[in-house]
Amino acid sequence: MTNLTVNLKEKIGFGALFLATMAVVVPVLCIIWLIVTRGWSAISWEFLFTMPRDGMRAGGIFPAIVGTFYLVLGSVAFSLPVGVMAAIYLNEYAKDNFLTRMINLAIINLSGVSSVVYGLFGLSLFVVFFRFGVSIISGSLTLGIMTLPVIITTTREALRAVPKPFREVSFSLGTTRWQTIRHAVLPFALPGILTGAILSIGRAAGETAPILFTVAAFYLPNLPNSPFDQAMALPYHLYIISTQIPNIRLDYRYGTALVLVGFVLIMNISAIVVRSKFRKKRW
Amino acid sequence: MNKPFTAVLLVAALCLGAAVTPAEAKNSIQIKGSDTMVNLGQAWAEAFNRIRPEVNVAVTGGGSGTGIAALLSGTCDICESSRAMEPRELKVAEAKGIAPKQEIVALDGIAVVVHPANPVKDMTIDQLRGIFMGDIKNWKDVGGKNIPIVILSREVNSGTHLFFKEHVLRRGVAKGPEEFSPFALLMPSSQAIADEVTNNENAIGYYGMGYISPAQKVIAVAKDASSPFVKPTIENVKANTYPISRPLYIFTNGEPKGVIRDFMDFAFSKEGQEIVRKTDFVPVR
Repeated sequence: MTNLTVNLKEKIGFGALFLATMAVVVPVLCIIWLIVTRGWSAISWEFLFTMPRDGMRAGGIFPAIVGTFYLVLGSVAFSLPVGVMAAIYLNEYAKDNFLTRMINLAIINLSGVSSVVYGLFGLSLFVVFFRFGVSIISGSLTLGIMTLPVIITTTREALRAVPKPFREVSFSLGTTRWQTIRHAVLPFALPGILTGAILSIGRAAGETAPILFTVAAFYLPNLPNSPFDQAMALPYHLYIISTQIPNIRLDYRYGTALVLVGFVLIMNISAIVVRSKFRKKRW
Repeated sequence: MNKPFTAVLLVAALCLGAAVTPAEAKNSIQIKGSDTMVNLGQAWAEAFNRIRPEVNVAVTGGGSGTGIAALLSGTCDICESSRAMEPRELKVAEAKGIAPKQEIVALDGIAVVVHPANPVKDMTIDQLRGIFMGDIKNWKDVGGKNIPIVILSREVNSGTHLFFKEHVLRRGVAKGPEEFSPFALLMPSSQAIADEVTNNENAIGYYGMGYISPAQKVIAVAKDASSPFVKPTIENVKANTYPISRPLYIFTNGEPKGVIRDFMDFAFSKEGQEIVRKTDFVPVR
């Protein structure tokens, strides 16, 4: 009898945990289902690869896709080297002192700052102070700074996961600290670092607020041809066609959302693939 | 540790930024400003690009206030605005050595809209004033069903919001004491008002004529009880019989030169003014 109630209690408990898990999964599935069913009909060669026409109600979203691509490229080009170097310093060189603790605190704070604050920061620093103007370079740097904490944190986790004996064995062979990091630590931390980089790409591609004041244009008739040009971008394009363009076809909105979500999903899935592929080859 | 640092940098950058002068642009034009006019600017840019493909016309919205601020800080060449510049802004311009040149490029009627199933089809300015100030709370008081009224307004950065407040709530007295009802919902865009009115039978909202669509019902408005009810159509705005209409402005820093001049000429050309009509505004030429 007691056994039965214990069993029952356990079943109820697991049921509740399962429901909680479903509460996470169901909204994601609903969002994807909604966007795919409503947006699929808009997807075509023309939609993906031509310029917008007729007040952005027809034609394609090519400049927004290109803009997002440039922004992602620019932000990763900035944040990946800086973030990885910072993480190597913090994990391999830095002593556990007041300064290091303060730096850690700063990184945690950075990841908690809301994205619109990054937008204003980028506006005042890159656009106005450095005189880059509203441009791809301002937007990329703003997004780069926003994704820095992600890259630093994931890289540190990856470095930390490399077992200590790897370093000890390497040191015992008389290598320098840098030689040890270069040959005995970094290769094994690579999948983790790549995961961080790809996750930050997904974040950079999807954010609207940081690019709002630093790069995004409502409309550009030509593709940008220098880092100092403005660009259109997918999340901002989705925002304006949903709020500013009257009488636009519904599937154009959802089609744009589908391209954006698809872009981020592909990024995240490739992160998982890269990770598992490298992991098989591990020590 | 980080936030105060960011804040200090932000303030420092803003102070220094105030002294920055605009860079001389050659083959690009920055247009910024009114959300009401952003579609018009976009349509001009699209058509202008067909004639002059080498000129890059970047169009950005954000609101009339945003555009004027950008003109004053030198970050745009052409500012689209659905209101004239305020004395406060002119003072800033003078201090920065910027001479805003004003042109009226089109006219706009502000349409008052309700749900298509709402039986109310015409109202006087006084009735609108009562509704938007919150004195009239039920549709039955203006000849509709016995359901409460939900007021939709634009947010305060919008030129449409200011115009509606001055010309309906304050009856043309710019500095009057009247304000929107505290229960009015402030919507982020004209399209958001359109979407909400489409789905909410209790709602009443307003937006520029360019947004008129069959999914919302347009109210005919009378200046006072003895005047006829007039719909916001191009003919009526041009004939000045529709009571809630306004000019749409373009500001440049001084007399426009080079490609900016060419673009302005295009906006006032036959083709440019035809675009004005196609985006549901009223041409001035």
